[in-house]
Parts: sequence; structure tokens; C-alpha cells
Amino acid sequence: MPDNVRPQSGDSRRDLRGSYGPARHHLLTSLFGIEGLHTLSVYRDRGGYSSLRKAMFEMAPEDITAEVKASGLRGRGGAGFPTGTKWGFIPKGVPGPKYVVVNGDEAEPGTTKDRYIMENSPHMLLEGILIACYAIGAHQAWIYLRGEYDGPFGMLMAAIAELRAEGILGDRPLERDYPLDIQIYRGHGAYICGEETALLESLEGKRAQPRARPPFPAVKGAWGRPTLINNVETLSNVPWIVAHGGAEYAKFGLGTAKGTRLVSVSGNVQNPGVFEIELGTSFREVIMEMAGGPPPGRRMKAFWPGGCSAPVLPEWGLDVSTDLDEVARAGSMAGSGGVIVMDDSHCMVRAARRLLQFYAHESCGKCTPCRVGGNWALRTYDRVLEGQGSEVELGTFDAIQESLQNGRCLCALGDSAGFVIASTMKHFRSEYEEHCLEHRCSVEEQVVAASA
Amino acid sequence: MAALSEHAIEEIRALPPRFPHIRSAVLPALDVAQDELGYLTREAMTEVAELLDLDPGYVEGVATFYTLLHLEPIGKHHFYVCTNLSCDLRGAYEICDHIKRRIGVEGFGEVSADGLFSLEEVECLGACEFAPMMRYQRRYHYDLTPEKVDALIEAARQNGGDRAADSPRDAAAASQKPPGRRASSRGPTKEDSAELNA
Repeated sequence: MPDNVRPQSGDSRRDLRGSYGPARHHLLTSLFGIEGLHTLSVYRDRGGYSSLRKAMFEMAPEDITAEVKASGLRGRGGAGFPTGTKWGFIPKGVPGPKYVVVNGDEAEPGTTKDRYIMENSPHMLLEGILIACYAIGAHQAWIYLRGEYDGPFGMLMAAIAELRAEGILGDRPLERDYPLDIQIYRGHGAYICGEETALLESLEGKRAQPRARPPFPAVKGAWGRPTLINNVETLSNVPWIVAHGGAEYAKFGLGTAKGTRLVSVSGNVQNPGVFEIELGTSFREVIMEMAGGPPPGRRMKAFWPGGCSAPVLPEWGLDVSTDLDEVARAGSMAGSGGVIVMDDSHCMVRAARRLLQFYAHESCGKCTPCRVGGNWALRTYDRVLEGQGSEVELGTFDAIQESLQNGRCLCALGDSAGFVIASTMKHFRSEYEEHCLEHRCSVEEQVVAASA
Repeated sequence: MAALSEHAIEEIRALPPRFPHIRSAVLPALDVAQDELGYLTREAMTEVAELLDLDPGYVEGVATFYTLLHLEPIGKHHFYVCTNLSCDLRGAYEICDHIKRRIGVEGFGEVSADGLFSLEEVECLGACEFAPMMRYQRRYHYDLTPEKVDALIEAARQNGGDRAADSPRDAAAASQKPPGRRASSRGPTKEDSAELNA
């Protein structure tokens, strides 16, 4: 097994269930598990903040952006946009403030990697943030942290206080005339805040409804100012890239996508956890080896490869690699790296219903197809699961999924709801037909028979 | 002006300078109000609006958008149980049914007759490798079993009346121990939240 898996962490303050400790491809997690890593002194003893020093004293801001571009790093929040390119969009030489806004609203079902990073090594994230500030000419960063993350909040607060006390944050960080500050803004429970423009609306004290683009946040972002928005994991890669160079980072990865990423595997597996993998590792290795595969006597039925917003893949998807482009060719998305595994004791129609409940609840209401379509689908699922389905409902599902997709909404939430319906129907149509036409569920019948 | 205590009003007045624009203070201000009252009354929202020079309708509009803000009373001990797919696949709804039986409610959102407990079904809380899980008293509780849940409920019954404030309160305010009628004095503090998961 390539990763160190500690199923139960005993009395550890920060629960570790996944990768930690040294391994060739552990760029982010190599120090995880070291006692006291969350403190400035231990992090610094292990080389922490030497990348910030290097960036601020030995590199010009544009050199840093060039290294990030050379690394091939792509955003780890879900969309996979090239990070260095995004940094390059921030206008230079404009008067007035610019901001770095950190997307720590992690709420894509199945995704837990950002919490894993923040609870294990909050300073790694903070160092990445400060380097990003310096690279784009910002002095102020805001971490938008989901409100439910009380643990990461406490750890980040403590880490920021240490930085202030040590003069790494303040008017003269590392005794250089480049003021730097980081503030935390806590979310209040809304999945849509993971969408970058909705996040900005929330940060500005509004209902979190996505903005029309253009203008893009790089030009007109938080409080109308140029803003760089990056995910927690994305920024956590930056200290390593600055220390070792973009070219070294690009040597990792087995496909067209560069580097490593954290995948969080959950659901019906024996060893759920957050694993750092080289991009291009197969889902078979991730699910069956690292996460231990389904429980004894069960067979894997399907998995969502990148959070529940990524179209579901049946068992053959195990042979797809985690390379972003290859997942796309298989008809899904690498998304946020949240891998949800379902075994053969669960009904796909019921699972799809639960996910539509999520999208219906989390729709912000701005775009009509999403606002109406999610609830309409949910009502249809309920009717079908109550044994009231027919040929008509099969057609209704089709009509709704079509109306949710293809850019009809400002953001991807509507599309994602459509993906759930479309992909579960595509790969598991027989279960839909059973429910709609025969008013039965063979999966549940088998489970009942086995337990009788 | 009567819904909020002097202390809460002072806290809210101190919020705007922390942001580039006063409007960003609205959610932290609603946290202050909610932690004091348990939920957001219309009077409290109006008072927040006046303190921040916003329209009351605007403030209510913001408040209704977010799951962690409550516009109806909740129990002094409120369980946020994740039932999204990863938790559902590992028995989250059985845990919910168990909690409902133990605290004596029929459904989500209902407050137990003694006012002590309520239960809310929430979307993914980002700790799926520990499913099924829930957020309770500003903490995550992992690998839930009926026994673990029973222990928490029993402990809550033992220490009874204090409300466990659980708004995502901001920064310095969260660690202050205010005098007066705010009931959160026994709620977890910043120090606690650094210490994860008992």
C-alpha cells in the first residue's frame, strides 16, 4: 500500500484518516502526523516559511507567477483552471487595494481535503496565501471559511496570531516593507458559496447569488477590487513549488495533469480517508487499495469521482485514471477530488433522490431552470419511490435534466443537478425502469432477502 | 430597541471597521444576535438593521438565505446531522431516527417538549471519511453510533438548561466571555474549538 493509512487515530487532536508521513509523492502531506505541526515553531523547524522568505527576498513577483505557471498546477476546487494563468489575470499597476480571497467553503459532498490540510498544517496554507499576495501585489487576504468548520477556524486563528506575534504578518513582515494581513470570514451554511462569485457576494454581506461575468473577479472582485480567488489545496501547493521550482512539480503526475492532489474517499469503503496521489493514478488503486474497497461480501456498484456534482461512473470506471482530462473523456469530472463509493446494497434511484434533495435545497434561486428544476425533480423522485411512477416520469426526468444543463444557468449548480439525473439514468436505467414501470426495487428485495 | 442587550449592541457596533464596507458586518452581527437569543426574531433583525444602517427587509433577506441562521426557535442543544450521500450510505438516517426517538420529536426542526433538544438534517459537512457524523456544540462528532449519540444526549440532560450557542461567530468576539444574560458561557470557546473532536 503506497500510503500510510491510520484507520483510527486514537486520542490525536487532529484526526488523521489518510496519507501522512514521507513518501516519494507526498508533497503536501509529508509532514502530516508530526506532533505539533500546527504550531509555528514546529512548522518553521521543518523548513516552513523559507519559501515565503525566498519569494520575498530572491524573486520578483512575476517570477513567482512564472514558476506557478511552469508547475502546471490546476485549481483544486473543482474547475481545474490553470493557477498560474489565473494569477496572471490580476492587473498590475492599478491604484488601490487588491485582494487574495481563499475559497475555504469546502461543501461539495464527498470532499474533505481542505479540512484535512487546515487541521494538519494550517501554516502551509497561510504561507501559500502570503506568497500569492506578494506575487499579485496584494496586501490583504481573506479566508472565506465555511461556518461549520469550527476546528479549522480555531487552528487558523491560532496560527494567524502566532504570525502576528512573530512579525510575519504586519507592517514589516520578515523586516521587509511589504505589509501583509490575513483575515478570516466565516460562512453561514450555503453550498453555493463555493462558487467564486457567490462567495464574493457573501463576503460583501449579501445573499450568496452568483454574479454574471464579465466582469471577472480578477478585474472587479471583492468590494469591487481586483481579486484572486484560489482554493485551499491550490494555495497549499505554492510553498512547495516556490521551494523546488515549477519544473520539479511538473515531474509529478502520470498523465497530462501535473503534480499530486488530495482525494477524499468516502461511502462504502473499508478505509475511508484523504489520500495524496499522483495525478494519473487509477481509481482502482485509489478505491480498491488505498481505501480498501467495499466491505466484505459487497461489490462496488458505482462511484462519483469528483464530488457528487461529477457524473457517476459504474464499475468499469475503476480503470479510468485520475488525470483530469481522462476523467473528462470517460464522461465525468475530476472535480474536487471527493470520491464517493456506493456498493451493491444501495438503490441508485434512492441515491439520486438524496442528491436532488441537496441541489434543490442549495439552489440560490437566481436562475429559473435551477430554482424550478431541482424541486420538480425531487417531487418526481418522491412520486416514483412511493410506487406512483410510470412511463411519464421517465420522460419527466429526461426533460428536467436537459433543461438544467448546457449553460442555461449562471453557475454550474444547475448543470450538476442535471448530471446526477442524466448519469444515473444512463448507467442504471434498468433501476429507473423497475421503479417507474414495475413499482419495485430489486436491490432492496435482495437486501431484505439476505437479511431474512 | 429592546431585543438585544447592551453588550450585544456594543459588539455589533464594533464590527464594521473590520471590513472595507459596512454591509459585510451583517452576518457577523446576526451571529451576535442569534447567540444571545437562540434564534433571530424579527425585532432582533430590525435592530441589527438599524445598527448597521441597512433596511430591515434586506437583513431578513440575508438571514433567510443561510442554513446556520435560524428564524424559528431551536432546542438549547441542537444537532446538525449530515444526511448527504456519504453519510446516508453509512446509516445517517438510522442515526437521525434514533435521535428523534431519544429526544421525543417526530421530525427535523421540531423542538422537544422540554425545549432542550432539536435535530436538523444538513448537507455535507466535509468530514465524509468519518461518516456518519454531525456538528454539535461547535464540534464535529465522528463515526456516530446509537451509543455515542445516547452519551451526548445524556450529558446534555445532566447539565440541562444552558444553551449551547453555535453560530459561526467571528474572531475575537467568539472568545469573549460576556457578562449578563447571554447563555453561551458554558458553550465551547475558541480554545475548545482548536481541540477537535473529543
